[in-house]
Amino acid sequence: MTAKDDKYIGTLLERYWDCETTLAEEQELRDFFSRDDLPATWQPYAPLFNYTREEQSVSLSEGFDDRLRAAMEKEKETNRGKKYITIRIFAPLLRVAASLLLIVGLGISIFFITRKNNNPWFVETYGDPNVAIKDATYALEMVSDALKTSEEASLETIRVIDDLDIDWSALDSLVTEDITADSLEAAAQGEETPNNGKFIPEDSKKVKNI
Amino acid sequence: MSNEPFFQIILPMKDRLFRLAYGIVRDREEAEDILQDMLLKMWSRKEDWKDIGNLEAYCFRAIKNMALDRLATMAIRQTDPIEREREDFYFVDNQSPHREMVMKEQSLLIEKCLYELPENQQLSFRLREIEGMSYREIADTLAISEDLVKISLFRARKKMKELLAGYDS
Repeated sequence: MTAKDDKYIGTLLERYWDCETTLAEEQELRDFFSRDDLPATWQPYAPLFNYTREEQSVSLSEGFDDRLRAAMEKEKETNRGKKYITIRIFAPLLRVAASLLLIVGLGISIFFITRKNNNPWFVETYGDPNVAIKDATYALEMVSDALKTSEEASLETIRVIDDLDIDWSALDSLVTEDITADSLEAAAQGEETPNNGKFIPEDSKKVKNI
Repeated sequence: MSNEPFFQIILPMKDRLFRLAYGIVRDREEAEDILQDMLLKMWSRKEDWKDIGNLEAYCFRAIKNMALDRLATMAIRQTDPIEREREDFYFVDNQSPHREMVMKEQSLLIEKCLYELPENQQLSFRLREIEGMSYREIADTLAISEDLVKISLFRARKKMKELLAGYDS
């Protein structure tokens, strides 16, 4: 190991840390660090290159190929069997079928939606028009009776009130007097209560608070 | 459809694919299981091979994703394999040479450090150092940009450098 070699390895290692080495140079480093007579200065870095070399030697166990072959045979058999055979035959048609299904589905839903909108609000439930008109007349008469009854009741009430002979003008004047008295009092209170008629600006209020 | 790509491209990669799966799940049996699943899946989808541009990168990506999925499902058992190895280390035969024991300890330290790295850094490091992939190949495998690969690798190596410097002192 000459000083020149030492320097070379040094620069190579430096470039290795900076990821500037080629694959060949990295192999060179690995070879160098696996030497038995590795100088003490380089010892600290040996474990890293030893580790990668160790890992490189990891390989499959011997029986793997046989197991793989057996598994492949098994797979072939299942593939040859019924597994998914229908799907494979109809695979190209599946796309067509899917799009057809989509179109039919859309068509049906559009048909139902538009038909629903055209539906009349009232549906014919009578077969015979004579029965229908009879029932309708009966219903309208009921309504008419009810209206008539209520109208009579209202007229009766008015009549009763008229008979009481109330002095409406007296009542009216009583109500207006009350209102004016109340409102005057409220107005007077509103002026006096807040700050005894004095004006205090907003800012000075704040200062006082502080 | 001929089976050629399977036997000429995919199958020869089996050891490298296995190492990547093993690197992620750290369990030989699980890794072999994942690899078998992945190869079977590729085998049963031979009509898709022609649509896959880079079959090699595709396989690496597939095994990476499957291994990560498996790791998530076995999250509780995840530490088991390492623990077992550590046990080996503690109960190492007194007769074995000192140097071997030290090496084992150092390897464990590196592995632990590697495990603590973010996914992209860890995988970039593995694919570069162990599988000897180019930046382009790593980028294709991890489905990230080449620049990100370089950055990830730089950070991973930096971490290793710090670890080794610390270990020395």
